[in-house]
Amino acid sequence: MKRYSGLIAGMMLAAVLSAPAAADSEISGFLQGLYGYGTDSRNPVPSELTASEVRLQLRFESFSDGAEYFGRLDFVYDNYLDPGISAELREGYIKFGAGGWLDMKIGRQIITWGTGDLIFINDLFPKDWVSFFSGRDDQYLKAPQNALRFTMYGGSTSLDVVYTPRFTSDVIPSGMRLSYYNPMAGGIVGGEDYLFAGTMPEAKIENGEISAKLSRYFGSIDGALYFYRGFYKTPVGMDMAAREAFYPELMVYGASLRSPVFGGIFWIESGYYDSREDSGGNDPLVPNSSLESMAGFERQITSTVTANLQYYNSYMIDHDSFAATLPEGSPVTDEFYHLLTSRVTMLFMMENLNVSLFAFYSPSEEDAYGRAAVTYKYTDTVSMALGANLFHGEYEYTTFGGFQHNDNVYLKFTYGI
Amino acid sequence: MKIGTIITAAAILFTSLPALAGDSEHDPEALMKESHMAMFYAADDGISEVEMKIVNSKGKERVRQFAMLRLDVEEGGKQMYYTYFRKPHDVSRLTFMVHKLPQENDSRWLYIPSVDLIKRISSDDKGSSFVGSDFTYEDVSGRHWTEDTHTFVREDEYNGRGVYVIESKPVEKYKGFTRKITLIDRENHLVLREEYYKKGDSPERVFTAEKVETIDGIATSTFRRMENLKKNQYTTVEFSDIRYDVGIDESVFTERSLKNPPREYIR
Repeated sequence: MKRYSGLIAGMMLAAVLSAPAAADSEISGFLQGLYGYGTDSRNPVPSELTASEVRLQLRFESFSDGAEYFGRLDFVYDNYLDPGISAELREGYIKFGAGGWLDMKIGRQIITWGTGDLIFINDLFPKDWVSFFSGRDDQYLKAPQNALRFTMYGGSTSLDVVYTPRFTSDVIPSGMRLSYYNPMAGGIVGGEDYLFAGTMPEAKIENGEISAKLSRYFGSIDGALYFYRGFYKTPVGMDMAAREAFYPELMVYGASLRSPVFGGIFWIESGYYDSREDSGGNDPLVPNSSLESMAGFERQITSTVTANLQYYNSYMIDHDSFAATLPEGSPVTDEFYHLLTSRVTMLFMMENLNVSLFAFYSPSEEDAYGRAAVTYKYTDTVSMALGANLFHGEYEYTTFGGFQHNDNVYLKFTYGI
Repeated sequence: MKIGTIITAAAILFTSLPALAGDSEHDPEALMKESHMAMFYAADDGISEVEMKIVNSKGKERVRQFAMLRLDVEEGGKQMYYTYFRKPHDVSRLTFMVHKLPQENDSRWLYIPSVDLIKRISSDDKGSSFVGSDFTYEDVSGRHWTEDTHTFVREDEYNGRGVYVIESKPVEKYKGFTRKITLIDRENHLVLREEYYKKGDSPERVFTAEKVETIDGIATSTFRRMENLKKNQYTTVEFSDIRYDVGIDESVFTERSLKNPPREYIR
């Protein structure tokens, strides 16, 4: 990638220079510095920093009556450990309509659907949890994918079909920036010896991902049905022979409803995760099928304070068969997983000072994760943010407990153009 | 709640009947309705570029730029709004949609393109600030005249224009104001000045129409100002490229347009 960044920069520059000639084109973007410091000295990662990077994002858009194209390119100078420059095409797609009832969006893009706030049941599009945990902007939680998206409309009903030819996984802590719990090592690990990556599914046509959503408005209530065929987005399967983690096959069938009620917005969503490689639930190395559900409510408390509350639950199918196959002494995952989350957003000084708090707490795994950020917009172009990511866990093998040494605080400066 | 509103509406209707019969030109209810229609329901639809400047007590200025589409589904009733933000950079390309039903909570949607997220927004509090300005959501789309009781005060002159002066008080307890004085232009029924009182004899906020232009034959206040005397700051709004009766279809005000801005109207 490095080799090409000069070329890409040149092409971007050419696009910038030629832009004024085209009537409906626009260039924008931002420059951002992010500096994060790990506050837990026990963290087994190679740097005390959690982030030290400068990012230039350039956005380019152009549209005519028939089509629209959009590009978002990030150049990042990162000296978390070894200084280096990288370029990432965050988005690069063309979008056009056909016959008034069909929209197509082809190329590298970010896709989101579902009703939850930072809880994703039927949204199986790739997420970057490393960015999320280290203080990058919210937009970096959603990772791009190369996909073909078709949206069909008929009255108040719409059907979305997304085909992603090459499976795109989540980005998860792998020991380099953030430590994690490694079951093979039996503890929290980090550093080069414990770099962790799953084996990707083979690049075959049948290993492409298909996501679909059928949605409809019933008055002010919006309902949706979902389908997904692909793989678990994190390497939760274990191949003992190869001693490698992999992404097991997955099918998901789900539904959601969202409605204004009691002066706020209420939502419920559910999904049945069909673990295709462990349909009997008796393979301890591949997750069992499960039923994932959540409910949430959000409303304004005062004219400048908004808060929400969510409850999420995961029920493991065939828990008995799972428990029976586990080796003696290994921690048994509960049949039910419970998670409570809450977000509070407060605006001060004519919305120029924004305080955001988000907490995850699981009573069943006895772990928690808190995000706090204070953002001040000094002018319309310059803003600064101070934030923190804090993890807590009674046990190392739980969702957030495994990240408990990754506590960090960060500072972020943004100049927008 | 709903029955209560109907009863109060009926009460207002009956109490204002003698006025209608006696002196129709000075019927405060009818005048407030006329001005509401002139301010917020001009033509059947409208498109405009908007520049908002928020100036704080230290003179520091923030600028918001957006394009706005409006469709009146029912004159004086249901309306739809669509907003496409251009500036500042952190909200550029963001879209916002409102389905407004008088006397009910609005339905509001926000689309954040960088994460492809459609968010439905709770809208209990119409007194919330619109994008951090001195205008509230209600100031932007109008407060329905039946939510207040009105009294005709006098005829007067304001900046060389003949005006009707009306005093209004909320039917139900309302935190936006306890009393409101409106100056309505006698000819075109536009609101030229509005003062919002909470306590005491001096207003907390004052709205003024700084510039009125005739566009497609319709008198339009193209430069508006809202001063917050309590906070010692103000916001100005300038409308440009205004077009009326463009023939915007209702299908523009859907999730599809949130994700795909209607380029036939928004460039």
